[in-house]
Amino acid sequence: MSRKRKLTGLRKFDKKEIIRLNNISKSFPGVKALKNVSFDLKEGEVHCLCGENGAGKSTLIKILSGVYQPDSGEIIFDGKKVDLSPHLAMSIGIQTIYQEHMVFGYMNIAENIFAGMEIDKGGFVQKREMRRKTVEVLKYLKSNLNPDMTMCDLSSGEQKTVEIAKGLIFQRRVIILDEPTASFSASEIDNLLHIIQTIKKSGLGIIYISHHVEEVFKIADRVTVLRDGQKVSTYDREDLTREKLIKDMVGRDPSTFYKRENVPVGEVIFEARNVTGDGAKNVSFKLKRGEILGFAGMTGSGRSELMNVLFGATHLDLGEILINDKVVKQANPWSAIRNKMCFITEDKQNTGLFLEHTIAQNTIIANLVNTKKFFMKISDDYKTGDKFIKLLGTKANDSSVHVVNLSGGNQQKVVLAKWLNTNGEIFIFDEPTRGIDVGSKQDIYQIMVNLLKQGKAIIMVSSDMPEVIAMSNKVIVMKDGEVMAELSKDEVTEENILMHSIGGGKI
Amino acid sequence: MTTEEVARQKKAIKGSSFRRFENFTVLSIFIAFVIIIVAIQVITTRALQFPTFISPVNLLNIMQQIAVPGIVAVGMTIVMISGGIDLSVGMLASLVAIVTALGISKWHLGTVPSIMLGIAVAVVLEMLLGYIISRTKVEPFIITLGGMITFKGIALLLCNSREVMMSGELNFLKANLIEGAKDPTSGLNLIIPPYVLIFLAIVVIAWVLLKFTKYGRRVYAVGNNPSAAYLAGINVKNVKFSSYIITGLLVGIGAVILLSRINVGIITLGQNLEIDTIAMVVIGGTVLSGGKGNIWGTFIGVLLLGSIGNAMNMLRLPPEVQFVAKGIIIILAVSTGDVYANISVYMSRMRQHVLGKKDVGEKN
Repeated sequence: MSRKRKLTGLRKFDKKEIIRLNNISKSFPGVKALKNVSFDLKEGEVHCLCGENGAGKSTLIKILSGVYQPDSGEIIFDGKKVDLSPHLAMSIGIQTIYQEHMVFGYMNIAENIFAGMEIDKGGFVQKREMRRKTVEVLKYLKSNLNPDMTMCDLSSGEQKTVEIAKGLIFQRRVIILDEPTASFSASEIDNLLHIIQTIKKSGLGIIYISHHVEEVFKIADRVTVLRDGQKVSTYDREDLTREKLIKDMVGRDPSTFYKRENVPVGEVIFEARNVTGDGAKNVSFKLKRGEILGFAGMTGSGRSELMNVLFGATHLDLGEILINDKVVKQANPWSAIRNKMCFITEDKQNTGLFLEHTIAQNTIIANLVNTKKFFMKISDDYKTGDKFIKLLGTKANDSSVHVVNLSGGNQQKVVLAKWLNTNGEIFIFDEPTRGIDVGSKQDIYQIMVNLLKQGKAIIMVSSDMPEVIAMSNKVIVMKDGEVMAELSKDEVTEENILMHSIGGGKI
Repeated sequence: MTTEEVARQKKAIKGSSFRRFENFTVLSIFIAFVIIIVAIQVITTRALQFPTFISPVNLLNIMQQIAVPGIVAVGMTIVMISGGIDLSVGMLASLVAIVTALGISKWHLGTVPSIMLGIAVAVVLEMLLGYIISRTKVEPFIITLGGMITFKGIALLLCNSREVMMSGELNFLKANLIEGAKDPTSGLNLIIPPYVLIFLAIVVIAWVLLKFTKYGRRVYAVGNNPSAAYLAGINVKNVKFSSYIITGLLVGIGAVILLSRINVGIITLGQNLEIDTIAMVVIGGTVLSGGKGNIWGTFIGVLLLGSIGNAMNMLRLPPEVQFVAKGIIIILAVSTGDVYANISVYMSRMRQHVLGKKDVGEKN
């Protein structure tokens, strides 16, 4: 069997199929993540998975690596039907390399590669043997890394190389790379693509997921496009064009999108002029009362970073922020709150909520900035908490319930209550409906529209394309911290947004 | 579910005073406390004929013994709720006592200025530690450990590793406020010194501060989730900083009282004070990770450890045995607290399931 193949050097392989998925479906409460998806991978092939955020790519790779079990459909490995578990996936040779590195920072490269699978003789680790194998494979990858280097001293590109080396040493059959180049420099990307070209010659099958169309065109042998949990198409490299790819990735029926009421737009309330700070470069825009300004772009396009700068949570290096036509200095969140800004963050559990505290405690906390009184009554806290439970339809008995016991949608409503209680006027919503069930989603959209009706204004960061299109008056598309395009209501289409967010507009 | 049923269910929940009584933990600690006190009473009356544990004279005696650790424990509670810890309080108390004693008997500054000097030293030193802790990402454990060692060194340098004798200049702090009152059963003198009242006043003030002020709400928020607190407009650094300043003030006051009780400035005065106070605070339901805790819980923790120490003294148990017993009690108290927390999380999850099921039924 292939287990006995030599570690390095070319081996004859006949492009036979390694793994095949037949009509895989998988749903989560409230979402159908995959619908009848079929997919296959051959030896010595790079098969790219493309699709927008939420198209089902991550669910598919989690099924391939055994983390999720499909609801229906079958997985065939080497011609035999298998039920994958993470352990089985590992032992039959499927290795997933996730976006975040899972490394032991203070161990060296050789120790990292063999962590948990040390070569031993009677319980004693054979350091020299492990080091020798590491050297051999690094040489094969034409890498200048030294097995004694400490992992945390390596760049993220070099760490990826180490993980690929691990795949080679343990003679994996399939390597799955999830967004591997997310934080890479240009030369690191070239280097990685080169390594992938090298290792596929040894008969490995590679599944490659990337937002970057250029990379896909450089290395793919085949490309499969997913949309809304369904497979749209599979192309051979020769048949693929940029236009076909984008057309397949978008193309939802706009009539299914949420329809929001139109609200009259007022005067400019917020303006950013050449805002530059941690992760954001030279961003300018104007926001009017009664308006939702959408921010679209791929993950890591600098949108959340920009929001942090606008809210004063990270430092504004250059440029200025104007509220009601007056330049304001916002060096910290409390001055932003005094200027009537609100920031509903993306990661509500870590940056939005006090999980072990009650709904009441969570609701009153941001408004402390505006509270003049030093002494406060507890009964007032509960009254405020109860008021917002009723107003937002939060599913909780009363505001003495601890937030940790609520579902995601209800937790989001507690975050909203915290900000509504400050009487803010400029709302930043960062991924307002991520991880929230459909019913709560509609509630949150309605709350946003109600805010607009009161003459407030909303900046909305969202990776959910239908959401951006349905809710926004204007959409700004970002890439690498810069504004790529500002699209008016008529120009906002999935195709346009996607085009600009992968940099297609510029090429 | 009909609206009537919803209303009835809501009323039932609101009507129960337990749901609103969020400090359920304090109540359970209190119950445990009462059980232990009764047990002690039974054991002591069996073993000794006289004096019994629950008698006015002994209870007031306990109050005198716990006043100083109690005052320091109040500061520790605030620090721990905001997510920190302070290991330096013991040696800081020794340092303050020695500085005050030196001020009175060697530098002849006068009693009141010496007390002021001592308290000021405590506040300034805690300010330094608090500043470093709030402005850097270094663990407070390490910084205050360094503080502890430094303070010990400074104290020993100041007194040349010797004790500083005083001639009762601080006796006004332990004067008896109820001169002439006698215990009805034993006929012994009852004593309430002013510092016991100071301790009780500090407990009440800290309770009001944590429970009924803007500042208190911020302390809890910072301890539970500093990044969410920062984005909710709380100056996290200054809240942490202030908790150490308050502790400094309280350690200063506690150290002066300690000095008045012992009448000698010596390095061993504050020994193990940090361990004892942390134990008291933790028994009282404050968690090391911050965000959760309560002054009355701490108060009961102080009473509990104080009573147990007192009872073991009455039974003439050797100090070695006392350490073992105290340690086991701390472990038991904290682990039962966690078991209880797990049960309550489980209960509320079950409740949520029931609610969720009802909602589904409603939709269908």
